[in-house]
Amino acid sequence: MEEDKKRTQLNNGKIDDSIADLLIENLQNPDAEQEASAELVSTASVGKDMQCEETIENKIFQKYKIKDIVFLAIITACTLVTGAIMPLLVNVPLFGIIQLGLGLQFSIFPVIGMMKVRKVGSLLFMSIFISCFLIFMFPPMALLMVCALIVEILVVLIFRGYKSDWACVLAGTLYMPMTVPFLYLYYNVFYSVSGDEKKAVSMFLGGTNPGVIIGMTVAIVALCFVGSIVGMLIGRELRKAGVLKK
Amino acid sequence: MSFFKVKKGIYPLIAIAASLFLLVFGLVTAKSERCWYFLLCAYAWLLIFGLYKGCLRILPAFIIIGGAFAGIFYAVTGSMISALSMANRFGSLFLAAAIGMSVESVALTRNLSQMRAPRTITLGMLISTSFVPVLRAEIKRIREAVKTRGAGSVYNPKVWYRAFLIPLVMRLVKISDTLSLSVETRGFALGKVKYSVYKKEIFAWTDLLFIVGLVCGGVLAVVL
Repeated sequence: MEEDKKRTQLNNGKIDDSIADLLIENLQNPDAEQEASAELVSTASVGKDMQCEETIENKIFQKYKIKDIVFLAIITACTLVTGAIMPLLVNVPLFGIIQLGLGLQFSIFPVIGMMKVRKVGSLLFMSIFISCFLIFMFPPMALLMVCALIVEILVVLIFRGYKSDWACVLAGTLYMPMTVPFLYLYYNVFYSVSGDEKKAVSMFLGGTNPGVIIGMTVAIVALCFVGSIVGMLIGRELRKAGVLKK
Repeated sequence: MSFFKVKKGIYPLIAIAASLFLLVFGLVTAKSERCWYFLLCAYAWLLIFGLYKGCLRILPAFIIIGGAFAGIFYAVTGSMISALSMANRFGSLFLAAAIGMSVESVALTRNLSQMRAPRTITLGMLISTSFVPVLRAEIKRIREAVKTRGAGSVYNPKVWYRAFLIPLVMRLVKISDTLSLSVETRGFALGKVKYSVYKKEIFAWTDLLFIVGLVCGGVLAVVL
């Protein structure tokens, strides 16, 4: 029993000694202790930040920041400037001429916008800004908002947002061609006021020639697809350069 | 008393409504001769209300573009009605543009802010309207850079992509970063934040007279 007591006393003494040594070391080198504690805190906070970022990125619907709105507005201005030929195309009686004239710029720039602001609703925001101005050139172009809404729903259903580059390409490809059926509806309803709906629709459909309709639709989709690919390539190059951050 | 005050410029939302009315009216009644008379009267009406700058600016563009399209349609169809309808469509379009030109983007933004429109929309509209001159300057600068470097013609697709489009988008991204920082430092915030409107847009009796005159003119052109 006495031996056991002695052993425990010795052990306690050893432990006490080692603790004392550590304390002395810490007192001699206070910076190291601070650094170690700071490191521990920072790793813990970085972990929390990473988790937060991951949860935010995984969300389908994300909050918009001012910088997102500013970029989308600037891209809209770019689209509008390049789409200034629209008032001239409006009065040319050929099926899909507006979409053919605007297809390239209305796919390149929105795709760049979506690649920078990868949030659901970015295309809708761009459409709202565009429509505010196009409505003065050609009122039915306000239907772009409806097209953007449909495209957004499709992208959410298929890709769950704009995380993938191909989601942006799909949205850019479908955005402008989607206006074709809406414009058909518009002409049908609008010209019914003057009783010229048959004339207007036949004029809009290029003399109801199926060849013209199919050919122009294919041309519009192809043009928008090319534009979207160009937009994606630009977006990728900018990401490589570190300008666009994913 | 502000209602009875005569002021410069038209109330932005009234101007938008007026230009939309002109556009739709022009599209619907383009084929009638009365539309032409109505557009002439509307032009005079705009001049009376002090929109002479916009009216003078659109005149040469209308003569050239509208005249060209009317001429083409007359040459193709051989009828005066189709030529007149083209002239009417372009006339209504350019008149709507003249009204639109009179509205400053800042005034429209203030007006929308007064109406408690979402800040996202007002900010976006303000930037996209006021950014056009900046964009033009940037495009000019990049074109000059392409010339200086001797990269070739901008009409060559490869040169256009590599030397024009990529630098342009790069500049746009940088400008947007700076602009968003500037907007944030000026205390602009999205969401439900209280804000005040500097220089409120006032609806005056002249605005009412302007829109009522246009609508009455349109109705008379159809009825008489």
